[in-house]
Amino acid sequence: MSEIAIRFFRLPAGGAAVARHLALGIRLAAAAAITAFALTTPGFLSPLSFNALLNAISFVGCVAVGMTFITLTGNIMSLCLGATVSASALIFLSSLAFGVAAAFALALAFAIAFTAAQGFLIGYFRANPILVSIAGLSLLLGGAAFATGGQRVYPGGEGLQMFKGRIAGIPVEALYFFATVILGQSILTWTRIGRLMVMVGSNIRAATAAGIDTTAIVTMAYVIAGSCAAISGILLAARYGSGDMELGAGYDYTAIAAVLVGGTGIQGGSGSTLRTLVGVTVIAVIEVVLLLRGFSEQLQYLITGLIVLAVIMLHTISGRR
Amino acid sequence: MMRAAKQLLSDRVRPFTIMFGAIFVLALIDRGTGYFFSIGTIFSVMQLFATVGLVALGLGLSMLVREFDLSVSGAVGLAGCIAVTTGAGNPWLGVLLGVSAGTVSGVLQGLIMTRLRLSSVGVTLGGLLTLQGITYVLTGNQTISYPNMAVALGLNAPIAHLLSVRSAAALAIFVIATLIMTYTHIGRDVIATGSDRRASRVAGLDTDRIIIGVFAASGASAALAGVLLSYSLGAASPVALADVLAPAAAAAIVGGVSVVGGRGSPMGIAAGVLTLCILRSGLSAIGVAPYVHDLVTGAILLVIAILDAPELAQRVVAWRLDRAERKQNAVAM
Repeated sequence: MSEIAIRFFRLPAGGAAVARHLALGIRLAAAAAITAFALTTPGFLSPLSFNALLNAISFVGCVAVGMTFITLTGNIMSLCLGATVSASALIFLSSLAFGVAAAFALALAFAIAFTAAQGFLIGYFRANPILVSIAGLSLLLGGAAFATGGQRVYPGGEGLQMFKGRIAGIPVEALYFFATVILGQSILTWTRIGRLMVMVGSNIRAATAAGIDTTAIVTMAYVIAGSCAAISGILLAARYGSGDMELGAGYDYTAIAAVLVGGTGIQGGSGSTLRTLVGVTVIAVIEVVLLLRGFSEQLQYLITGLIVLAVIMLHTISGRR
Repeated sequence: MMRAAKQLLSDRVRPFTIMFGAIFVLALIDRGTGYFFSIGTIFSVMQLFATVGLVALGLGLSMLVREFDLSVSGAVGLAGCIAVTTGAGNPWLGVLLGVSAGTVSGVLQGLIMTRLRLSSVGVTLGGLLTLQGITYVLTGNQTISYPNMAVALGLNAPIAHLLSVRSAAALAIFVIATLIMTYTHIGRDVIATGSDRRASRVAGLDTDRIIIGVFAASGASAALAGVLLSYSLGAASPVALADVLAPAAAAAIVGGVSVVGGRGSPMGIAAGVLTLCILRSGLSAIGVAPYVHDLVTGAILLVIAILDAPELAQRVVAWRLDRAERKQNAVAM
């Protein structure tokens, strides 16, 4: 916080070096404060609140993992992932008549094709990612209104049970989310393509000069983002048993907030899905704690917003050495 | 012929080319049935313009200096709620407080960005969430109705069948913005900051002040849009206006504002907003289903995204060389 103060109030720069070391301390202190605040909240350690927590993180968490890949490859954010979530939910529900496996595959294939096309334009022409995502959003909204006539979509067959309920006491949604996080992190850490994504995000010119097919790498990042959105959509469809385009609305903003709170840099080239897991969890813990402490819903929104703003400021400052 | 086409697609002229193109195509489809070319259509186009236009202006200004103000939709909602709660007795007080709130939020975010050297996407995302939170607290998470119906009716009453007070106010703001951007040094400074911030700073320009000013203007403009909309609807709610960002960004980009900064003008933005409004009202006037509007907008945006892409020229040159080479090879064989 002190470096924020020094820069913001333009204090003499002498304290800046000290302040940099303080940044880590502040992060640890903040983490400790949130933990203490959570643990001292009556009822936080109950299974009920634990379930609420898992529910809060699972759906948006999958989208946030996908968003991580977009941010990491230097493409800031996508405003169209929320709509992709809704669209894949609609496709999943309406194609359940052909069986669960076919419906799952269709929803996944659609989301991948749609985001991959955006990723290709962004990678090949270096088109602006936010602009392309807004175009995608418009096309999806129009296409969905055409296909559904604005009506709610109900399942065309059986098989939703697979994606809800619990296994060994843990909600299935949470298992899918954790699997997404682990899979995403494995790709980033252990595969060549994951390392190349980090490289493309940190310096696309250098990557191009090194002979890397940046188009393929960026497209791949969007393919992963699309798959994550589809999984979130399928889980949401199973949870609510019906769907419309409002299902994933607003997930873009919550997801990018989680990505940034986790500490993935908005400028690209640094980040991980584990950080996103932390980001999603921090936001959810704050929400659950505020809820348990009896804050009104409106105050929860405000406090969460302020904390997100503060954390983003803190990260960007301590990350720049 | 080629030169004329190039001129029509140049940065400055393109927004107007697209706008007249849209009018022409709609007129062709309409073919004199009179549904499209009617006073009613113009009035509804201008009503839409009043809502989206000022938000697009604010967002476009931030894009001119190579930033992106995600918080505009938050300012719209907050200002609308402030105006409706405080302006029951004296509507001007509501306007004043609402627009001040937007300005203050812009200044604060601008200060955070410039002093801490942070990217605008991160800061304005936090700003957006915070503004939404304040709006929720102010309204107690409920829709607030505005008791002063005379104001609502007055704002939407037609002037000369074409405009309403609301759309006239939006137009006036655009005219003022154009005058400032064209005839004062502020306009040149903004463009310079957006084109090359480092060079501008070296040349002695206080770019931080420009950035803060631009975000203040962006917040104020979006706030005014929120105030006018809430007054004319006679109600404000914390959730209703959340989806204004995408259309505003689309309008600014169709209006020739480049995401790489330094290119664009308020008149261009106005043309961009009008294009989208004409498409929406025009398509519904000639009886096309509403989803067509979304599809057409999406397609236009996609084309612009590709046309504006930095690598497009290189890729096209590469294709041509490739083809020429193949042709030569074929001849040689």
